[in-house]
Amino acid sequence: MEAVQKYSESELVPLLKQRSQQVYSYLYDNYAGALYSTIVGIVSDTELANDVLQEVFIKIWRQIDSYDAGRGRLFTWMLNIARNASIDTIRSKGFQNSRANRELTENVYESAGSVETKTDTIGLRKIVAQLKEEWRVLVELSYFQGYTQDEIAGILQIPLGTVKTRMRSALQQLSKQLKEK
Amino acid sequence: MDVNTYIQSGVIESYIMGIADEQEVSELMQLAARYPEIKAAIDVAEASLEAFSLANATPPPAVVKTAIFEQLTSEFRPATEPKEPTIISFNFRWIAAAAVILLIVSSGLNVYFYSRFKETTSQYEALVLEKNTLQANNQMMQTKSLDLYNSMQMMTDPAMLKVAMPGIAGKENSFATVFWDTKSRDVYILPNKLPQPTKGKQYQLWAIVDGKPVDAGVISDCAGLCKMKNIPKASMFAVTLEKEGGSPSPTLSEMYVAGKVG
Repeated sequence: MEAVQKYSESELVPLLKQRSQQVYSYLYDNYAGALYSTIVGIVSDTELANDVLQEVFIKIWRQIDSYDAGRGRLFTWMLNIARNASIDTIRSKGFQNSRANRELTENVYESAGSVETKTDTIGLRKIVAQLKEEWRVLVELSYFQGYTQDEIAGILQIPLGTVKTRMRSALQQLSKQLKEK
Repeated sequence: MDVNTYIQSGVIESYIMGIADEQEVSELMQLAARYPEIKAAIDVAEASLEAFSLANATPPPAVVKTAIFEQLTSEFRPATEPKEPTIISFNFRWIAAAAVILLIVSSGLNVYFYSRFKETTSQYEALVLEKNTLQANNQMMQTKSLDLYNSMQMMTDPAMLKVAMPGIAGKENSFATVFWDTKSRDVYILPNKLPQPTKGKQYQLWAIVDGKPVDAGVISDCAGLCKMKNIPKASMFAVTLEKEGGSPSPTLSEMYVAGKVG
């Protein structure tokens, strides 16, 4: 076996900006799984998640020059690309149609099951699922479905201030659980 | 403001997860620039999200990586090997430059060596010709030398009878010698001193047998002794200048030398 080289973030970024295929391959091998969990958590469909993951890595490759290490970690930047791409996908017309059909079918045959529960065992969803309902809904709508806090206030018919306060409490709790894991 | 309360408010998590709105983000950025604790807290939150995500990774199917790399193939090539190719092309330039210089030098040498080759070839041909000429001359000299050797052998042979023929009156400067083999009766002549015959003329040797001249042959251009006819018996020998090929009888007015046998 060849010795697997480890790169620190500060080594990775310049090499990626130099378009090193080897380092890009390393990046994929190390982070694709983590991003894939997030993507699957949002799009709830592995086949679709494969397409999104591909799209995400192409974006990472093409936009690496716009990454600024001074504004945060590389992983945070990649995670945001993955989350945004996933949300764009579930917001797309094609996805909405297929989901509407699927939910209809599921509603008919399985009475009440929701699609989201299928991926509850993966990553962040596992923790979010453990939050109390009041908070879970907020994280679900914002993080997994990409609604703004303004929109959530509208959807849930509660004041924006309350959304913000509850959201922060939810994330505080999430953060604690995250660190415990 | 209470920095710790702010840090623990959940706004940092909201920010790194991409949920925070614009107003929250700009507030956080300003505070992070002012309070190193807030900046540090953001770093910690990011690191813990990353650690959690990596720990909860789901390996994607291998086909995804293949598809990505296939799609990016053309984008890798021009720039994927940013270090080695520059070194290679640097080396290549040197090698190319060296090769061009060597080619020019080599071409120049080709012209030079070709002209030298042509020169040497013509010199060689001249030498071969000279050698052949020398060899031919040498062979001629050897033949001549062998003839002279044979002549000398005959002249010193005890069986050889020597007949001196001094110049007759009016031709005192002339002189010739007949060598007569007493066993075989072959006659040889050595034209020691005879004027160069005029064109169309040739010297002829006569043997005087019982008072009458007998043709003993004409003297041709020979090295050393010239072999003449076989004369069984003679009392005297004489040489006259005759027309080329000889005459049936001697022209006595043109006699040069004569000598008695014994």
